[in-house]
Amino acid sequence: MFRFDVYVPKDLRDALEAFKIYGEELVPIAGGTDLLVLYRQGMVRFKALLDLWSLRNELSYVKLEGGLVKIGALTTIDELSSSELLKDKRFAGLRDACKTFASPFIRSVATVGGNVGAAHPLSDITITLLTYDASVKVRSLEGERVVPLKSFFLDKRKTVKRPDELITEVFFSEPPNNASSAFIKLDRKVGHGMGYVAVGVYAELDGDVIKDVRIAFDSMGRAFPERALMTENALRGMELSERNVDKVVREVLPKEMGRISDYRASAEYRLHLSQVLLKRALLGVGRRVRGE
Amino acid sequence: MSEVGASRASWNTYRDVEVSFKVNGKEVRVRVKPYERLLDVLRNKLGLLSVKEGCGRGECGSCVVIMNGKLIPTCLTLAVRAEGSEILTLEGIAPEGKLHAIQKALLDTYSMQCGFCFPGVIMASKYLLDKNPDPTEDEIRDALDGNICRCGSYLRFIKAVKLASKYIKEGKVFFDESEVLR
Repeated sequence: MFRFDVYVPKDLRDALEAFKIYGEELVPIAGGTDLLVLYRQGMVRFKALLDLWSLRNELSYVKLEGGLVKIGALTTIDELSSSELLKDKRFAGLRDACKTFASPFIRSVATVGGNVGAAHPLSDITITLLTYDASVKVRSLEGERVVPLKSFFLDKRKTVKRPDELITEVFFSEPPNNASSAFIKLDRKVGHGMGYVAVGVYAELDGDVIKDVRIAFDSMGRAFPERALMTENALRGMELSERNVDKVVREVLPKEMGRISDYRASAEYRLHLSQVLLKRALLGVGRRVRGE
Repeated sequence: MSEVGASRASWNTYRDVEVSFKVNGKEVRVRVKPYERLLDVLRNKLGLLSVKEGCGRGECGSCVVIMNGKLIPTCLTLAVRAEGSEILTLEGIAPEGKLHAIQKALLDTYSMQCGFCFPGVIMASKYLLDKNPDPTEDEIRDALDGNICRCGSYLRFIKAVKLASKYIKEGKVFFDESEVLR
């Protein structure tokens, strides 16, 4: 381990200015539940941390504004799950993701922005946000830019965010009333489980017909969360029934999904789990939309 | 621009930072290194030995304390972040010479084997009971699922939290040492 400095900014502007002095050696820290673990394992190096916690009064919120659901980057998982807005059935998937997210004491410090910025495949909130087709707002001294979440990741732990930029917000359009979502993660153990496979599903139903559907997995082959676009296309316009879903997860999903084998699970097992969990999630969303 | 960075810590100096906060109701002011963890400051500088380091990476729950009403892992919290906060550790949950209902319940259910995880388990239980005085078994399991106990006393913890909830509902929050089973 090495020593480092900490810079505590007064406000967002001050935080962005700090990059001008410290450059790329300054690394932003939000909850720290990922970064400080990497630090202890010796997997990251930096000269100073930019402690974003002092910006919480600016960047911690969940609100509905102009048809957009806006989540501040420094909103903790606890705050997200207890927000009034997400009590609605249209956001059931986000609630699922918060509920199975790590352990209680991690949920009270881990943030939404951190979950996105970590660019790790097993980022439950990110997977769910992908199903809402969310976008990420990043700020630097040059101004603000908006990046769709689906094109935010380049590789594991690599994003399009420049080192002098900060994630300030994640937002998505308010879903219609005939929509709901689900998130399922499977692991042998609860509490610390990163999950072998995690899937998020968002669907809009017109009666029994799938009007729109978005599916995201922890990984589709590359080591970051991605959408299952071929499977989505196959499902769109179909009647949401056990038979139809079964056919699609059996025939379409394996064509676009690449899974890896490691000490935690084999590729075959992961693919099988993905199929089973996707089917469960889709049928679950159907029940949620119908209010069952 | 010169004042940027000079207020707290400047470039590559690792200069001590003065941090003041309230711990167990007492105002404290300590000098900490910018890279120090809250865990080390509480243990080594303030002598609060109930805060234990288990894994040091937020997985075991031995080092949790309640900070500003939130259960947090002190091993993943920078000490500078404690500025202006209010921290409660196991030492502060009951007045001197008394035991909290959760401690009494854990003893009543014979939960303790080695006891290393106890401070974390007690803080997590207190955090649960403060928010939810009458938790169901599932809620207790959820609340304690981040606390690892290598002796495997998990089922007794569940019994203990239920018992503690009963004590608290009966208005018995603190117990004299003489009332505690030996």
